[in-house]
Amino acid sequence: MMYLFIVGGLVVGIIIGVMSPLEIPPVYAKYTSVALLAALDSVFGGTRAALERIFNLSIFLTGFFSNSLLAALLVFLGNFVGIDLYYVALISFGLRLFQNTAAIRRLLLSRRTK
Amino acid sequence: MLKQGRWAIAAVSMLLGIMLVGQYKMTQSIAESNIHLQRTGDLARELTAAEKEGDELRQQLEKIQKGDASASVVSDINLLKQRAGLTDVTGPGVIITINDSKIPVKDNENPNLYLIHDEDLLRVLNELRAGGAEAIAVNDQRLTGTSEVRCAGPTVMVNGKVFGPPFVIKAIGDPKTLSAALTMRGGVVESLKYWGIELKIQEVDQMIVPAFNGTFKEDHLKVVKQGGDKK
Repeated sequence: MMYLFIVGGLVVGIIIGVMSPLEIPPVYAKYTSVALLAALDSVFGGTRAALERIFNLSIFLTGFFSNSLLAALLVFLGNFVGIDLYYVALISFGLRLFQNTAAIRRLLLSRRTK
Repeated sequence: MLKQGRWAIAAVSMLLGIMLVGQYKMTQSIAESNIHLQRTGDLARELTAAEKEGDELRQQLEKIQKGDASASVVSDINLLKQRAGLTDVTGPGVIITINDSKIPVKDNENPNLYLIHDEDLLRVLNELRAGGAEAIAVNDQRLTGTSEVRCAGPTVMVNGKVFGPPFVIKAIGDPKTLSAALTMRGGVVESLKYWGIELKIQEVDQMIVPAFNGTFKEDHLKVVKQGGDKK
């Protein structure tokens, strides 16, 4: 039931994205890619939390938005002082993404064997 | 928790979907507008177009010159063109092929000594001219009064075109005299051989030396009116 909402929302979002004339200028590529990675990380983190039965909606929602916005903002600010935080964000969110997927896999496996 | 939560989660997934598509679209548009590639392609196309136009204009010029001028003027023009190196010419002469040394460079020796430089080519060309060569071309670039033979990094530039070894020099003239001029004792061939630079002289009865096909620049010169006889 829950997955239906997730997949449904994703499909609707993809359809909206394809239909809409929305185009992000390539100048912002760094910010949007970091924001997207942060958002993906939040989603996988949320899934993991749900499987661990510690899911909290407000934590999930604030995490989703603040992580994406903060990541983009930090990269943006880093540009001003000559620190390429882009790669830092990529590595940290990427690492967490893989950790989360690994945890999800392990949780699903242990649930099946129970 | 899940009752009100699932709509929020659906909304978040929707947002994620929009972001994903936006990112995908952007990546596609970046790949499409690969500026560098496009630029080289454009320049190559422009170059071929300009070359074509230049050929056409040159042909037109020839046609006009033929059509307008009287017979004696035409023959004068042809003679001058031939002397300026603007016509293909044929005759006996020598073909010299020069290549970099294949001797392994010893330690603490300058590898430059084993390569051909513009100076080496210039010495060969100078010797050929002194030996009475009437038309010379380096790698089919006809040498005219304004031709340069010059180092351009690891290559040599002739008439604004860049060549790497091997260099083929064609010179029309008396084959015996020309090859003798190069191979005389203490001459240019001997000193180049010392460094292992491969130089082959071939005497031929008949060969073609192509015309100069570049452009003449006349940005700075003006013709001086000559009142009387030349001094």
